[in-house]
Amino acid sequence: MAIVALEALEALVGRPFPGGTYTVEPYQNWLTNDVVLAPQRDDDLAHPMYCYYAALAGMGISLDELFALAHASADDGVMFGEAEIELVGPMRVGVTYSVRGSFTSVVRKEGKKAGVFDILAFALELVDPAGDVVGVSTNSFVFPRRDG
Amino acid sequence: MTPARGVAIGDELPQLVIERVDAEKMKTMAALLRDPNPIHLDPTVVVALGMGTAVVNQGPNNMAYVVNMLAAWAGGPDRIAKLRVRFLANVFSGDRLVAGGTVTGIDGERVMCDVWLARDGTEPVLAGTAVTRPFFVSTAAPGAGLDTKNETT
Repeated sequence: MAIVALEALEALVGRPFPGGTYTVEPYQNWLTNDVVLAPQRDDDLAHPMYCYYAALAGMGISLDELFALAHASADDGVMFGEAEIELVGPMRVGVTYSVRGSFTSVVRKEGKKAGVFDILAFALELVDPAGDVVGVSTNSFVFPRRDG
Repeated sequence: MTPARGVAIGDELPQLVIERVDAEKMKTMAALLRDPNPIHLDPTVVVALGMGTAVVNQGPNNMAYVVNMLAAWAGGPDRIAKLRVRFLANVFSGDRLVAGGTVTGIDGERVMCDVWLARDGTEPVLAGTAVTRPFFVSTAAPGAGLDTKNETT
């Protein structure tokens, strides 16, 4: 993907996501445990990675749309940079969480092999029905840029 | 800071081994996450991108293996307070992975750790830090900890 004006990316910082809600359905938690080789449980504890899954599913835009905001697409070799989940308490199957958040930073770097790339970070909060933040998912994606 | 019972700085966390990363499970996760990236589905795309010959595991899956390692050690998924990771390399279908960690700090009931995931246990693919609340760690008086909660029922 061609190099994008940094100002266009910096304009994203502070921009809120549309947000939404997400409910961890029992079959989704079962499938997730199966995929990531976690033991199946007989209680209502969701896999902790739902702090990430629910945040991204409920942020109100798709990954394709997020990539488009960064002037990229899934075919451009977009990579995960860093990811953080912070859990005040466990996430639970069957509970509907509200998701809210915004873009938090953009950094442009250049490497000898990688060339120019941009790192776009965003943070998403998961709010339970009582209004308490139970989790925060902070992530960054790396967008390779090439001349042309 | 009160020393936590049962944990010491420098302790190695019990390692978790993923014997073989399965391409079929990547397809399930792609559907669950509505992840459109074809590198998780189609090896011809991976080849075309010059990334190798096998499909690439979703980054969050790699993070989840570390979560599983931490949860197994700390006493459950509700014992994980924080996990921050950097993705260092791609993981491919067929890879054998080992997740591990080391206790780096103790603050009351919170135990800080360095964590990692490595291909064949030697080539790092993910590294980070974690904060856990292990069930066996308590600064309360002996007998008042979480591990004794069933004694009154």
